Amino acid sequence: MIRFENVSKIYPGDFMALEGINLKIEKGEFVSIIGHSGSGKSTLLKLIYAEEQPTEGHVYFNDRPIDSIKRRLLPFFRRNIGTVFQDFKLLPQKTAYENVAYALEVCDETKEDIAEQVPEILDIVGLGDKMEKYPHQLSGGEKQKVCLARAFVRRPLVLIADEPTGNLDPSATLEIVELLLKINTMDTTVVLASHNKSIVDKVNKRVVELENGKIIRDSMIGKYNV
Amino acid sequence: MKLLKLRRTFNEGFTNFRRNGWLSFATVIILSISLYIISFTAILAVATSIILTNIQDKINISVYFKQDVGEERILEIKDKLIGFQEIKSIEYVSKEQALEQFRKFGDNSPSISQALDEIGDNPLLAALVIKAESPDQYDLISKSIAESSYSEEIDKIDFYENKEAIERLNSIMGLIKKIGLALGAIFVFIGILITFNAIRLTMYAQRQEFEIMRLVGASNRYIRAPFIFEGIFYGIFSAVVVMVGLYFTSMFLAPLTEESISGGNLATFYLKNSLIIFGSLIFSGILLGTVSAMIAIRKYLKI
Repeated sequence: MIRFENVSKIYPGDFMALEGINLKIEKGEFVSIIGHSGSGKSTLLKLIYAEEQPTEGHVYFNDRPIDSIKRRLLPFFRRNIGTVFQDFKLLPQKTAYENVAYALEVCDETKEDIAEQVPEILDIVGLGDKMEKYPHQLSGGEKQKVCLARAFVRRPLVLIADEPTGNLDPSATLEIVELLLKINTMDTTVVLASHNKSIVDKVNKRVVELENGKIIRDSMIGKYNV
Repeated sequence: MKLLKLRRTFNEGFTNFRRNGWLSFATVIILSISLYIISFTAILAVATSIILTNIQDKINISVYFKQDVGEERILEIKDKLIGFQEIKSIEYVSKEQALEQFRKFGDNSPSISQALDEIGDNPLLAALVIKAESPDQYDLISKSIAESSYSEEIDKIDFYENKEAIERLNSIMGLIKKIGLALGAIFVFIGILITFNAIRLTMYAQRQEFEIMRLVGASNRYIRAPFIFEGIFYGIFSAVVVMVGLYFTSMFLAPLTEESISGGNLATFYLKNSLIIFGSLIFSGILLGTVSAMIAIRKYLKI
């Protein structure tokens, strides 16, 4: 489903973020990308949702090179991919409901469809009773759940989570990991980047380890440390 | 679906416009000044050219014939003159008509008609009133008549000398156009810059929204449209402000321009053409706003 072929990414200033990456992620997989800060985890993810383009090599999505997608059509490609980040990226002046609805609004969904889908997804993440709360009224874990709801509401093929638990306490972290696993069981490929040992161990699925922009380990069932 | 998108982006654009508050206000003012200068110049140019045509229409040469020259002879000369390219029209005014006009002219002054009655005989001369195709040909016409074979029969040639006034008006109009164009260009530039800046600030304030919009897969058009609408709002509001401004200007200038434009003054001219003026204002306002928004989008909106 996602395939990296000899991908290198060099940022301006000759900073080599990724080097000769070959990676294949199958549909329905749950892949944890681990490594220290600056090891290239985020860059790898950005290449998947076309925020960055590779300097060398190609990234394929369903056998189609992402860099061949016309700029005009990129937004439609991105609809296949849900994203969750450490810093949430919620709109502070919108309620939980509105934040999730927003993702549907900008994709031209009708009000009726939105009214149907949003409560459903918020129920799935366990925020059915907090739909009208604003982000500042929610805990960190709840905020991240709203983000998960927003990312998942359009049922993307892939969910990308970049350090989703970086700002959360252990119990909230656990809840988020469980939600990610739940989403994974609903036929969604999940790519998780983290340097949190406990959550990678808890997931207990495929682990890809990066160091200085290179893959140094790829184990099908793995722990953070071998 | 299309309509839904249009409505949503339109609302976003209007919200941007409203939330910008003072910045929107300042932008509208500057944009208004630009539009005002341009449109005022345009109106002035149109009005001056109307006044000019009016005046040009009033110039003529009157060729007065001596008392003893008969009507037949004058008409003969008239037929000769009509062949000239430079001459637009010739009107024969007989002694009797001249007297009648003179009496009418002196309507409110009984002393004139009294004097005329006293003279008994008609003292006025028959004349040919000549209009030229263009004002700069009067000189030539009057000269060639003065040097013609029948110059002996002519009492005098009266060239109603408006030429200087016309030339002055012409050069003033040219100057107005030049200054207006230069000022207009400068202010169009400033207007675009200011609008562009307002939109840029909106973009900056909303950078988080963009990021999210992009991440959730909002189409480029969906992301851009609100800013185009914002620009359009600046344009429309400015057009309305200018419309009101021009109205007061024309009222202010109305007494100065009384009767100089056929059928009234600058105010009536403005009111009569208000629809066209408003239409062009709205059009240019929208154009300016859109151009500014597009520049801002091109420069700052990463898709």
